[in-house]
Amino acid sequence: MGEQGRYLYAVCRGLTPEAVDGIVGLSGGRIDLVMEGDLVGLVSPVDLDEYGEDGLRRNLERLDWLEEAARGHDAVVQAAAAIAPTAPTRLATIFLDDEGVRRRLRERRDAIAAALDRVEGHEEWSVKVLTRVADTEPEPVPVASSGADYLRRKREQQEARFADDHDAHFVAERVHDALVPVVSASRRLSPQDPRLAGHEGTMVHNAAYLVHRDRSGEFVDRVQEQSDAYPGVVVDARGPWPPYSFAMLDES
Amino acid sequence: MTDGVRLLPQRLETDPESIQRDLMRLVLTIIELVRQLMEKQALRRVDAGDLTDDQVEALGTGLMHLENAMRELREQHGLTQSDLNIDLGPLGTLLAE
Amino acid sequence: MSSTAVAPAASDNRAIALVDLLDRLLGTGVVIAGDVVISLAGVDLVELRLRALLRTIEGDA
Repeated sequence: MGEQGRYLYAVCRGLTPEAVDGIVGLSGGRIDLVMEGDLVGLVSPVDLDEYGEDGLRRNLERLDWLEEAARGHDAVVQAAAAIAPTAPTRLATIFLDDEGVRRRLRERRDAIAAALDRVEGHEEWSVKVLTRVADTEPEPVPVASSGADYLRRKREQQEARFADDHDAHFVAERVHDALVPVVSASRRLSPQDPRLAGHEGTMVHNAAYLVHRDRSGEFVDRVQEQSDAYPGVVVDARGPWPPYSFAMLDES
Repeated sequence: MTDGVRLLPQRLETDPESIQRDLMRLVLTIIELVRQLMEKQALRRVDAGDLTDDQVEALGTGLMHLENAMRELREQHGLTQSDLNIDLGPLGTLLAE
Repeated sequence: MSSTAVAPAASDNRAIALVDLLDRLLGTGVVIAGDVVISLAGVDLVELRLRALLRTIEGDA
């Protein structure tokens, strides 16, 4: 076995070794706890061949490796978030040893504590708004009497598409406004590339909402109301998820 | 680390039976992409107002012929617009910058 | 057409699509570079760099 490092999945508060007993880490490995004050880092030992700088550079460009690592990381985060306030770390946050992890927890104590306070008792919900496919079917070639006429009709088509997009964005803002009163925080994310996300239509809204567990029923009801109110768009809500968008610990 | 993780490369697996169809779809996808870029750019130039009437006419006629030719090519190969899987979303932004 | 915005089955709804998970777990976005490797009979033959091609076209415009 080559050199080993520590893979950090997340930082929690109030986790005990017994609580993480059944949780399985990357590649079926065990979960260890690194304690610093009341902060608990969840780590697994990993081979630096695979997770060191060179290994990561290779592996991060392989979709199969990326998928397995992301799913493995998420499994640990989800198990932890179910039982304790959890601040996840970015994929492939590696330390050489436990002392390195402790040092990070010490140095970032305030930010980590603030993140844990923010998400305690909360879950993340994803809400996307998309145009319906019919809206994005291309128009037939305009029958035009001249080159200039053709361009004129093309511009009209473009402006109609723009207006449709504009309407969809307007609806997205209304949906967002309806959800804000029942959430503790929201965060807008970039719309996704359909070639990656596989959706039809145009994604005009992609946001994460931090919802208190006691209000999740209310949140879901509001989403459904908005979906019913705007049949011209698709409102796609998923959750509850761990608070990835509200408690991510990274370099910045 | 690099400034983006790329899902790279997509692989087009072909075999002697399917290669013509697969390559044709790839080629038509690229042509369609270029055609849409040309169309966007032409409209921009027309809006900018620095073209003569003859140039505008020539651009429009050329693009009209091109769009008709593309439609025929697609139909010949039994492909619909959505088969070519073009969404200028992210690339459309590239143009606007 | 009426539709349920939130999938009724709890397990369906909780599932995180890979693209959503990667968006959150990676500090940077995941992009498609628009490259295609053409492979015939299992042999990689050609890599087509679409983004480089498009940049060239734009540059002339």
